[in-house]
Amino acid sequence: MSERRIALENACGEFEADLVLYYYGEGSVVERHRIENHLDGCRRCARFMDDLRGLLPQMSKTTELPQSFWDNYYREVVHKLEQAQERKSWWRGLVPTFGGWAIPAFGTAVVAVLAVALVFGNGDWSLRSSSTSQESIPQEILSDSGRLEFFNSLDLLESLATLEKMDGSGPEKVEFHNL
Amino acid sequence: MWAEPNALLGRQGKAIDALIEKSPPDDLPDEQIVALCQRGETKYFEILVRRYMEKAFHIALNFTRNTEEAKDLSQDAFLRAFTRINQFDGRSSFYTWFYRLVVNICLDATRRKNRVGWESLEAVNESAPERPELTDNSRLPEEVTMAREAKRRADRTLETMPNKQRTAFLLRNHQGLSIADIAKVMKTTEATVRVYLHRAVSALRQSLLEFV
Repeated sequence: MSERRIALENACGEFEADLVLYYYGEGSVVERHRIENHLDGCRRCARFMDDLRGLLPQMSKTTELPQSFWDNYYREVVHKLEQAQERKSWWRGLVPTFGGWAIPAFGTAVVAVLAVALVFGNGDWSLRSSSTSQESIPQEILSDSGRLEFFNSLDLLESLATLEKMDGSGPEKVEFHNL
Repeated sequence: MWAEPNALLGRQGKAIDALIEKSPPDDLPDEQIVALCQRGETKYFEILVRRYMEKAFHIALNFTRNTEEAKDLSQDAFLRAFTRINQFDGRSSFYTWFYRLVVNICLDATRRKNRVGWESLEAVNESAPERPELTDNSRLPEEVTMAREAKRRADRTLETMPNKQRTAFLLRNHQGLSIADIAKVMKTTEATVRVYLHRAVSALRQSLLEFV
């Protein structure tokens, strides 16, 4: 850059990639000797190297930041780490509180409750719901068996209408299904 | 302030305890500090923060060209490293593992933004203090303008080049990582990194041809 030459020169095609690596100090001793020998006799490649040396360090220059920036930066990171640590220890703290037995004990309790429910419920879960539906029928209707039959038939008609709507078919089809 | 290392964690734990007795924590190598953190001595992670905060910040700044964003992203990288410290298996060095976290966070942020950060680049160019070589009074105004434009063009080229080329270039040119370490950070071969590096430099050269 000191020569105000910003752009890079063309290098020999077969050497260009190697010159980039050479600039960065990569490659074996033998390889580096080969390139140095070539650079001695090739003006284009020598200029290419000069350009790399001029341009690439300029690109990597960083602006110096004041110490206060880094002090602040460090404090912020530490604060974030402490917060992360607290979040982590919140749920981990539960494990020692209840001990290692908590999870198996909870699992056993759930299985026991299910077993009791199955044994005493005889596996008939619909029993409770049917009694509930009986309870929901008003007492005036239940007292008169004739009325109850009337309302049951209304329910049947309503169900048939619903089925017709769902199938989009005529009453014949519904009758077929009922048969 | 420093928690006493737990000496009941096997041979490695005893070795670390012995090392701590010999040298202050700040002098411990990365891998020993990581081992301490993995044993629950998380306070030691702050040493890694002090050790790598400038590098992490500058990598993020290379990618984002924005100071505030670089600060946030690099701090996120530390947080991620802290929460995932148990996933570090020691197959690579800590710094290549950590650099990989930083680079991935920066690339994710770039993808999320779905832009190359022209606004922030311009902001940096406008607000950053002029470099000495650009404000040198001995230079002609046209030369200063040309050099500034060249710098801007180079930055833009860098931001628009494929992520892998840019990553390889930034890690080598700006961070000074070896090709071998870049290969580990990028989880690729050294030969591939060489290709990325050459392509990145070629792209930069192309973008600056008109300034001959």
